[in-house]
Amino acid sequence: MMRDSRVRRLPMALSALVALALAVVPLPGALDALRPDFLVLVVFYWSIESPRAGGLALAFFAGLALDVIKGVVLGQHALALTLMAAWATHLRLRLRVFSVLSQSLTIFAFLTGYQFILFWIDGATGNPVTSFSRWLAPVIGAVLWPFLAGALGRLHER
Amino acid sequence: MVAFRNTDASGRTTGLLLRCVLYSLLALGLIIVDKRYDHLGKIRRFLSIVAYPVQLAVESPFEGWNWFRESVTTRDALREDKAKLESELRLAQFRLQRYEALEAESQRLRALRDNTAGVTDHFIIGDVMDVDLDAFRERVLIDKGARDGIFVGQAVLDSGGVFGQVSRVEQLTSEVILVSDPAHALPVQINRNGLRTIAVGTGDPSRLKLPYLPTSADVVVGDLLVTSGLGGGFPAGYPVGTVADVKRDPAQSLAEVDVRPAAALDRSRELMFVWLKPAPALPVPAAAVTTPAAKSTPQPPAKIAPSPAKAAPPGVSHP
Repeated sequence: MMRDSRVRRLPMALSALVALALAVVPLPGALDALRPDFLVLVVFYWSIESPRAGGLALAFFAGLALDVIKGVVLGQHALALTLMAAWATHLRLRLRVFSVLSQSLTIFAFLTGYQFILFWIDGATGNPVTSFSRWLAPVIGAVLWPFLAGALGRLHER
Repeated sequence: MVAFRNTDASGRTTGLLLRCVLYSLLALGLIIVDKRYDHLGKIRRFLSIVAYPVQLAVESPFEGWNWFRESVTTRDALREDKAKLESELRLAQFRLQRYEALEAESQRLRALRDNTAGVTDHFIIGDVMDVDLDAFRERVLIDKGARDGIFVGQAVLDSGGVFGQVSRVEQLTSEVILVSDPAHALPVQINRNGLRTIAVGTGDPSRLKLPYLPTSADVVVGDLLVTSGLGGGFPAGYPVGTVADVKRDPAQSLAEVDVRPAAALDRSRELMFVWLKPAPALPVPAAAVTTPAAKSTPQPPAKIAPSPAKAAPPGVSHP
């Protein structure tokens, strides 16, 4: 925690870039709806483990990158990600001592909140996506969380 | 408020709530400005150039794999392909001979009616990039953009028929909304009897629907739908699809008609971007034809509806 913040920025930027690429990597049709929000999970990880390295700026710009690369209204993912990352940062001290299961459940709540904000903005800007399958991504993201956190933790420790 | 003011390990107050509110307001402002006003086009274009390397990086392994697969095809397969392509080319050329005669005839007839030509001319080919935009919307990303003269609303075809239209243009890329997107509607005409209606996407790339036909409408399974050219975005006469199913419920006033799209919406990789042909040599005032603006702009006037009702070439209406 007390290490030089410049050292921590490189793994953060790298993982965010890879996650951004994973957000648009082509998947076969059926799997596409199940794609977890990798970048969101990565932002949550850095918000919890090392909020000073990226903080809310990371969340905001990662969201903006998602907006641009997915071609939706600018600010949509940025808003959702900023709010949820702020929540995660606020709860980080408690989250760090949670068991794996409770951590996953909390992440599920964050991801659902994130999807809900996206859903709300989709509706407010006039192209609602009412398909039920969009609510599957939080479940998969929460299941994936322990593995992702483990992998990022290894990257972080080095 | 107090709960949100955390003290960091280094003893610095982070003011999380304040920053959260600031960033959220910034994001909300972006949403509103992007949605309500069209001022963000330039910012978007710049950001998309920044995002382009990521998109390329995502695409390149798939491109590489395709290249590899193509380069290790056997000689036999290539010969087979060649024979097939040659026979197809022969057939196409045979058809083209007739097409040119027909086009010339159509031009003559239109000139007689003092109308602009509706037959399309200029194409460029764009490749679909291997990038998934959104699982829940029928859109694709194309590797041609504002640099190549693509514009919003431009008609996009594939070898089978109408594919969609350009919904967003960046500097190097553009986004095409497919005819099967639920938010897309296309003015069409039944080729057999000229009945006009609107084809709406369903979200399923193998199905469109015609929701506005009365139960008494003359439509049967197998009817070919072509673009009607009304609305001005699309050139008239391109195949959209064939009627696959007609359900007539006597209790309802509208029939349920399913259409199988002519374009391979989920398979095509090369798409054609169409510019409507500029007016041919018609008796228009010379000054209107040789305006520098009309010559230098890479976009021929694409918004002219090829319908006889709006038969005014650009520049003629205001001398």
